[in-house]
Amino acid sequence: MHHQFNSPDGPVDVTVTKQGDEWILGEHKAVRERDGRLKIHLANGESGFATVAKVADHWWVHFSGHTFNFERIEPGATQGGNDGGLTAPMPGKVLDVLVEVGQSVETGQTLMILEAMKMEHRILAAASGTVTDVYFSAGEQVQQGSALLAMTEHED
Amino acid sequence: MVSKVLVANRGEIACRILRACSEAGLASVAVYAENDTTSLFVELADESVMLHGDTIAETYLDQHQILAVAAETGADAIHPGFGFLSERADFARAVTAAGIQWVGPSANAIEKMGDKMTARITMRDAGVPVIPGEEIESIDEDEALAAIQQASTRVGYPLLLKASSGGGGKGMRAVEHPDELLDAARSARREALAAFGDGRVYLERLLTGSKHVEIQVLADRHGRTIHLGERECSVQRRHQKVFEEAPCATMTEEIRAAMGKAAVAAAMAVNYEGAGTVEFLLAPNGEFFFLEMNTRIQVEHPVTELVTGVDIVREQLRIAAGEPMSCGELQIRGHAIEVRLYAEDASNNFLPAIGPLAVFIPPEGPGIRLDTGVRQGDEVTPNYDPMLAKLIVWAPSREEALQRMRRSLDEFVVLGTTTNLRFLRELCDVSDVIEGTTDTTMIDRLWPQGWTPSVPLHIEDAALMAAAVGESAGLHRLTTSSPNGSDGPSGPVSPFATLNRRYP
Repeated sequence: MHHQFNSPDGPVDVTVTKQGDEWILGEHKAVRERDGRLKIHLANGESGFATVAKVADHWWVHFSGHTFNFERIEPGATQGGNDGGLTAPMPGKVLDVLVEVGQSVETGQTLMILEAMKMEHRILAAASGTVTDVYFSAGEQVQQGSALLAMTEHED
Repeated sequence: MVSKVLVANRGEIACRILRACSEAGLASVAVYAENDTTSLFVELADESVMLHGDTIAETYLDQHQILAVAAETGADAIHPGFGFLSERADFARAVTAAGIQWVGPSANAIEKMGDKMTARITMRDAGVPVIPGEEIESIDEDEALAAIQQASTRVGYPLLLKASSGGGGKGMRAVEHPDELLDAARSARREALAAFGDGRVYLERLLTGSKHVEIQVLADRHGRTIHLGERECSVQRRHQKVFEEAPCATMTEEIRAAMGKAAVAAAMAVNYEGAGTVEFLLAPNGEFFFLEMNTRIQVEHPVTELVTGVDIVREQLRIAAGEPMSCGELQIRGHAIEVRLYAEDASNNFLPAIGPLAVFIPPEGPGIRLDTGVRQGDEVTPNYDPMLAKLIVWAPSREEALQRMRRSLDEFVVLGTTTNLRFLRELCDVSDVIEGTTDTTMIDRLWPQGWTPSVPLHIEDAALMAAAVGESAGLHRLTTSSPNGSDGPSGPVSPFATLNRRYP
């Protein structure tokens, strides 16, 4: 069966086939255990148990002391564009807005300060440019992933 | 006499204290905010009372409400844990005035040590060296900023800004150059105000290359003040400790004796009662400087418990009840290491993470202790500190303790929320950690551009295969995958039906 996941290095295609009790990927094999874990036999002779859980569209996997989180790309889905990182990394509160619409900013300049989990987080400009919109003001709550500001990048 | 203890805290430390109460045969009361209704500590208490209000200030920091609950439930002692109200002298005073035993030192001792300037003067008088530093008393923002600028020229760079009434890295900023000072000061004051209701800051010279070493002290009302040896907590990220151990790998008998003597002198200087910690910076040449005294139980107290065999929280309860402490002659035995498991993305500047704890399987076996306030199925929310658990190991030697920590971290499974597990595991392989030559700047020095995990390709392949098999075989229908359990085993199953099928 064919699946597509988002890994830290980009989208990955994975095709596994089943033969009897064994799932096969190239020369790696996996067998489902009674408790829901997978016994993995790697091509290099190593083996171990993988614990998996699906939360929303994400597959979480623990194997050999490493934890992974792969988003499953639904067949036919299109990928969202890059918003330049001007989104809230956490739900929280806007503490301060340091720029206004029309203002020119330099790379690395602090645009907004958020508070989440009692710690401050600075939203920095990824490139130099002009602020075209500010969606929140100080004191407002923001959700994770909310667009905070919009800006156009200067051409160098 | 103490018979019923109200725990004015939440999470992991509330669980630790409530369990100690249960073991000591004391009745216990938990207070909790509405969003903690299903938290573990609420069920560990004999009685639990919900606090009204939405914010931390309206709940865990609301002294009047907590005192009212104590009166209602007939609690005759209040244990504040750490953070929240634990170092608020006004609260200790109000508790005492209400005829309730405060589990901790007197309001006077908290005030003297909590005020970093007074603490420094007290220590200087006791003959203990202190780091150059100054307190900024101004409340007004502009006045405070001007005073900070003036003080910075006397303290010198690099310097550290700290919240006067704080801890836990909140309101703390390292400043390398004068032109970063104002920005850092504004943000430190704001964070301090939000976390502690007090925006005052303290400037101190930043001593690089030093170890953070602290001495645990215990004092009772029967004239006994002792120290329980040191802990080393140099490995810090964002000024929060992540890796702590006892004893300190480079400690000598002479330095331990001198530091222990200084710590006991500090405690006696303020007529200290209960458990406290005196923090020092230990320079590479063996010189040490007083940093501050924490007048409460400390997050990393378990490493001291494991190497001394003393149950510090139980001793706190005993001392508060007016009994003499129970520990006799102390001996340090073996080595203990604690790591703090945080819900955070270590590869993205340690940004706090949230999500469900879909799977939470701690390691087991000899020499392992887990102090936590969460269990599988809980939700990590942005409402509180992101520390999920403390994993503590003990072994006869430091080398074996590190081996045991590596094994434990490899076994620990947390799925559904990003944690720093892998970061902690890689820390155990860092040569400074192996050699015991850690200092407070180690993390920034080792990973100046931030940490990223090194994942062998075949391990990632195996994980991708596991995800693909999981999706193909429908394993998500067999595992806990959402906090409300909607993806759990298909709906409620009657045990009788199961019996029917299996035993027709």
